[in-house]
Amino acid sequence: MAKKPQENPALDMTPMIDVVFELIIFFVVTIKQEDLFSRLNVNRPAPATSSSASDSSDDITVTIEIGRRYDNNPGGVIVYNKKALGGPIGSTADARRELDRNLKDIAKTSTKTPIIVKCAEDSPHKALVDVLDICYKNKLFSVSVFTL
Amino acid sequence: MARKAQENPALDMTPMIDVVFELIIFFVVTLTEAQRKDETIILEDGRHGEALTPENLPPTHMQIDISAKGRISMGDRTIDPAEVKRRVAEKYKKIGEFPVLIRADFQTAHRDVAKVMNACTEAGIWKISFMAVGEDKTNERATNKNENFNRWRKWRGK
Repeated sequence: MAKKPQENPALDMTPMIDVVFELIIFFVVTIKQEDLFSRLNVNRPAPATSSSASDSSDDITVTIEIGRRYDNNPGGVIVYNKKALGGPIGSTADARRELDRNLKDIAKTSTKTPIIVKCAEDSPHKALVDVLDICYKNKLFSVSVFTL
Repeated sequence: MARKAQENPALDMTPMIDVVFELIIFFVVTLTEAQRKDETIILEDGRHGEALTPENLPPTHMQIDISAKGRISMGDRTIDPAEVKRRVAEKYKKIGEFPVLIRADFQTAHRDVAKVMNACTEAGIWKISFMAVGEDKTNERATNKNENFNRWRKWRGK
């Protein structure tokens, strides 16, 4: 600011610094750090068609079924190629580890292997996200979701 | 601007008022932005998913929230699957394919998620993304502060 020369031509910074400090404090107190989100992409078959669309290809497909919730297992039952994972009562953590092992083998052969996830109507969304996350972990990205 | 009385320098309010207005505008904009979602939703962790940043999510995307009880909403306004279909179809007609992002609670029954997915496929969108927590920065679940966490813990501990 081009003021006329005075005794003390230096700009008085005090109020500005006050305001800036006020601002800093305000932001530190009010701004809450947000979670970082991720997205898991899936394909959806047409609602009317059955699984016939997937049967038409001769490629190997992997089918993962997510069963209904029951009391001992709030995460839902995971069935991999017709075999329930994590034992009959199945803790979900075990099931997830087992699925991870299986999918790792699949990914070694080809990461383009189509994965079909079939969800029971009353399975929790959490189970689906868990399964998708494990697929993504093993770089298996072509996932389709069916509803049982 | 009254710059005459140099002996008794009156405080120049202009920059301060500028800053305060800037602040007000900032908060009005961010608050309205933040309000547009269903706050009851707790997302499941999905650490290996594609990171969700403004750069890799086109502004044309559509976000649909589904609560644990199956309430479907957009911008925290409750809608039914038919309305989802109508909105998706309308947008699809206008701009072609666009990303649909479903923000569903960990407890939501698949039935309710399927309703929304079916509405999207009927309207022409086949690729659907689910939102998950990539990196838990707020650590809300660990602080045991809100009822959301209690719901999560109760369900987890079953």
